[in-house]
Amino acid sequence: MSQEEVTQVQVRFVTQQRKYAVIDSAILVPARLKRYGLSEIVNHLLGSENPVPFDFLIEGQFLRTSLSEYLENAGLSTENLITIEYVESMLPPTPMSSFQHDDWISSVKGFSQHSLFLTGSYDNYVRIWNTSGECVSTFRDHTAPVKDVAWLEVDETQATCLSASQDQSVLAWQYSFSSDDQTVLYECKGHKASVESVAVDPSKQHFATASWDSTIKIWTSSIPTEDETDYVEDARHKRRKTHKTDDRKSKSAASTLEGHVGPVSSVVFDSQDANALYSGGWDHSVRIWDVEQRVNVSTKVMTNHDVNTNRIQNCEKVVYGIAHSPHSKLLASGHADKTVRLWDPRADDVTVVKLTLISHTLWVPTVSWSPTSAYMLVSGSYDGTCKLWDIRSKAPVYTIAAPLVAKGEATKKVFTVDWEGERILSGGEDCQLRIHSAKM
Amino acid sequence: MSPAQKKKFPQKDCSSSTMKRVRPVPKAAPALQPPPKANKKPNATKPFVSVAIARAPSTTIGKSNGRPSASITPKRPLKQQSNSLEHGEDSDDEEFGDVTIDMGSDEEGDDDSEQEGDDEDFEDEEDFEGSGNDEQEVFPIGEDDDEKSEVNSAGREEDGSETEEDDYMPGDSLDEEELKEEDLEKVAMSNDNGAYKKKLLPEIDPVYDSDSSTEDVTNTVGNIPLEWYNDYPHIGYDLDGKKVLRPAKGDELEKFLATMDDPDTWRSVTDREGKEVVLNDEELDIIRRLQEGAIPDAGYDPYEPTVEWFTSKVEVMPLTAKPEPKRRFVPSKWEAKTIMKIVRAIREGRIVPRKTTAQKPSYYNLWTNDDKPREDHIMHIPAPKMRLPEHDESYNPPAEYLPTEKERQEWEATDREDRPRNYLPMKYSSLRSVPAYNRFIQERFERCLDLYLAPRVRKNRACIPSCYYLYSFGRILSTISHNTTTFLFYWNQQLNIDPESLIPKLPSPKDLQPFPSTLSLTFIGHTNRIRCFSIDPTGLYLLSGSDDNTLRMWEITTGRCLHTWNVDDIVHFVAWNPNRDLWCFAASVGHGRVVVISPPEACSPELAAVTDVYLRAGFAPIQGSVDGEKDKAVKWAKPTEQEEEDGYRLVIQHSQSVKQITWHRKGDYFATVAPDAQNLAVLIHQTTKHQTQSPFKKLKGLVQRALFHPIKPIFFVATQRYVRVYNLMKQELVKTLQTGVKWVSSLDIHPGGRRQCHYWELLQTVMLVRYGFVFNFV
Repeated sequence: MSQEEVTQVQVRFVTQQRKYAVIDSAILVPARLKRYGLSEIVNHLLGSENPVPFDFLIEGQFLRTSLSEYLENAGLSTENLITIEYVESMLPPTPMSSFQHDDWISSVKGFSQHSLFLTGSYDNYVRIWNTSGECVSTFRDHTAPVKDVAWLEVDETQATCLSASQDQSVLAWQYSFSSDDQTVLYECKGHKASVESVAVDPSKQHFATASWDSTIKIWTSSIPTEDETDYVEDARHKRRKTHKTDDRKSKSAASTLEGHVGPVSSVVFDSQDANALYSGGWDHSVRIWDVEQRVNVSTKVMTNHDVNTNRIQNCEKVVYGIAHSPHSKLLASGHADKTVRLWDPRADDVTVVKLTLISHTLWVPTVSWSPTSAYMLVSGSYDGTCKLWDIRSKAPVYTIAAPLVAKGEATKKVFTVDWEGERILSGGEDCQLRIHSAKM
Repeated sequence: MSPAQKKKFPQKDCSSSTMKRVRPVPKAAPALQPPPKANKKPNATKPFVSVAIARAPSTTIGKSNGRPSASITPKRPLKQQSNSLEHGEDSDDEEFGDVTIDMGSDEEGDDDSEQEGDDEDFEDEEDFEGSGNDEQEVFPIGEDDDEKSEVNSAGREEDGSETEEDDYMPGDSLDEEELKEEDLEKVAMSNDNGAYKKKLLPEIDPVYDSDSSTEDVTNTVGNIPLEWYNDYPHIGYDLDGKKVLRPAKGDELEKFLATMDDPDTWRSVTDREGKEVVLNDEELDIIRRLQEGAIPDAGYDPYEPTVEWFTSKVEVMPLTAKPEPKRRFVPSKWEAKTIMKIVRAIREGRIVPRKTTAQKPSYYNLWTNDDKPREDHIMHIPAPKMRLPEHDESYNPPAEYLPTEKERQEWEATDREDRPRNYLPMKYSSLRSVPAYNRFIQERFERCLDLYLAPRVRKNRACIPSCYYLYSFGRILSTISHNTTTFLFYWNQQLNIDPESLIPKLPSPKDLQPFPSTLSLTFIGHTNRIRCFSIDPTGLYLLSGSDDNTLRMWEITTGRCLHTWNVDDIVHFVAWNPNRDLWCFAASVGHGRVVVISPPEACSPELAAVTDVYLRAGFAPIQGSVDGEKDKAVKWAKPTEQEEEDGYRLVIQHSQSVKQITWHRKGDYFATVAPDAQNLAVLIHQTTKHQTQSPFKKLKGLVQRALFHPIKPIFFVATQRYVRVYNLMKQELVKTLQTGVKWVSSLDIHPGGRRQCHYWELLQTVMLVRYGFVFNFV
């Protein structure tokens, strides 16, 4: 009698991870099983001593309920043979440490090999941190909040990094680990408004900057021998920049990409192709550029929202952050309408959004792909949370909770997030560089 | 053609036309001749044939059947006529050609030759018409000549031959032969040309040969009984008096042999003179028809449909193709003279228009009553009808209607005005004993007064309430006292308006998107009430002024306070300069202090330099150039050194606290509104020249807001109740917008300049919260 009560479903377990492959035959499992039960079965089938947590996908979607509920929702009968794909489950991110800053953190970039973190802050400083929480170095040459930072080159002895600031300049720094001294290699001048984003191409030969003056500028990373621009000595600024060094070389842009009709908020190079550049702006568009040709290859343009057609799939909102995945070749963008959208830059269609991830409650200014997985990405939002997404599921996998605030106060916004190696770095209004482990 | 010939042809026409007029032909053979037009119309080629036939008798008369033709002599003139008709046509052509050339020039000039010219003209016309339509004489219906031409033509007819001879050129040696040859040529010509074929048709009567009436005339021995000569060898005498011998006859045998030899024997007959005549097929057919009693002419259809050639109908197209005669184009001089005589008389006042005497109706309808249906009009209210009599008004009402004594006393006791009825039922034995109604005239008079003094006019209330309800529907319009009865006129005010429809339709929130529905960002930093904010033209930065004596600049996307100015008083208003090439804003601080600040943050050195030059440009000529009055209004000053370090560029001191600052689109001018400053409430400042002007001498009402039109040189000033629109170029009031509200607190205009939006008092409070908000517009 008990056997009749327990509904059983025929399932077949498949996986793309070779080391966890099990026999490819249908087995009967109780329909009431959830992820944990299925994971136990797979572990039993594998016969492994240390149980490995698995996640289960049916038809490309994560199984978040029991099998019977899934069948009920999908309108399937228990007679059907269900093919379940299982992947090794990602462990929930655990907070590792947090480094206190003096002011809001606008940007963070990690470098996993040397366990270094580069942060830009609204106190005009750029800092390099190591894993033990020491501020290795502080660059103080910016006169306005630093909006974005990027590693240019890091080797055993020295690190070169870039910082974009609201003072409309981009500075290239060099820090020597051994001698612990820092130098400004050159100053990139040319933008007419705050520089919002800087991105280095995979070959490290070029980097691109995006500015609120609605242009994108491409620069070479070579160190100039002399001033390339006529620096306008403004009386006012001269007086204010007392600490300005005269030996700083100024650099002019190799090329300027014009096409955005509003401020450009984010720019990123293709992780494989140094010639492809992606940018997102306030003009509701994600644009794809050919760097050598200096042309706007394609525009994922998102015009004004048409109420009548109600095309919710199209992005009609401001793009704030953009990231490109080296594995899935997809583009993720964070928007002012609280969503994360995924684009396929290779698709010809101008308006098709591959996926829209909705869970945040406020603007999403930053997104970052997992360096190892083709499916995982992390997004940070003004609601203070960071969410980990598996693009096979529409709901976020994990949510890194917002830092606690006193009652009545607004939440501390997250301005930047970076998934680097097995760590997720995030920074924002709470002046803390938060580091979470993100082990797959 | 020689000029002589040319000259001659018209004269020939004259003769021919005269001949034509006396020609008796139509009367002679009315039966056999088809209707003239019918004859003329069907075959246009006939005239030439007929001419040939007409000519035939003179040349081939002996050949045909030996019939002597008595019509030879009359045929010559006929032929001449026919030919001359052609000439007439030709000459007509020429004449008309001349006429057409002369069309422009009027003949009024040559008065001497007028009569002659007229004569010629009319001759031409006559020729023309005669050649074209001979039957005009016979059926003179279509004759439309005026009197003059008729008279002339009549006179001409009489001396036609004379003119003919007179007009022969002296030395003209044309004889008959030449004339005939020329005629032949003309026939050939006209045949070739094919012009006016129809007009050649007429009565060049080819049918004379077959005309039975002419057969008698061919008798050469005279019309005598042949039996007189039975005993003589001859059968008569010819014209010369010689005997005409009886033709020789063979004996019976010869006759028989001849009969046997000749196949035509059966169809040969002997005529009166004994000659054998072989009948042709047509003649045989005629004989056969005569025997059958049918109409001898095979081609004659007695039953053909009648064609009414002359009807009262006016044809659209003329039946003849003749050109319009000249007189049609030349205005009649006689008529002109007559008209001019009348015109002159009218001008000189000799002819006065008859005075129209207004026709007064000799009588009118006494019994016109108001039952007559009036034309339907919305404002018309028919007069109330009098009540119809009821049973108790009868002279002999049923007993139950009769009032009791108590009722009678009660009725008599009440005042006349208050009586429910103006009579008491009375019973009479017969109608003749009913007395006259003594109040009849009085009541009639009262009714007339009622109708006259209580005008039945429908008053539509113009004030459809602007609020959302109607206060009353039923209203008493007028009361009409009729006898002792009072009529109350109630009616619905014709405002059959659904109250719901008066409520303005609110759009659904979906249509208003982007609609601020979510709080996205909070800018935290102010510690007291925020009075104003302004977003810079690029949309990147936000300014806010507060009661905590600070002015803050924010980065919009992050909510980061980039700069804080510590002013020592309340900030009333801030406004960014809308020009993107400049980097400054104006703020109203405290009691009438307006500062123009160029923030040192977020600004490229170039832009800062440009703005500096722009704002300082006015300092050089300021001293002395400003007259006292303007000094009184505002005072332009330089900021202190410390302030300048903080971005201050200009300080303008007003007399009263400035509640609003609005920039012109180009960023040079800005207007300040200080409601308490009376006539200096609205001032327009020019930043480059550091000048201030007061555009209004006098201002009615408390000024709340001022605004520059984004495109046109138009300036809006909103007082509490009105919005006045001024043209800055013409310096005049364009119009006054009546808002219909008690308090206009804010005013904005669509950036495209098309619409104005008013935000009323309710919305004012939105800004007065402690924090500034940015809603999710982006």
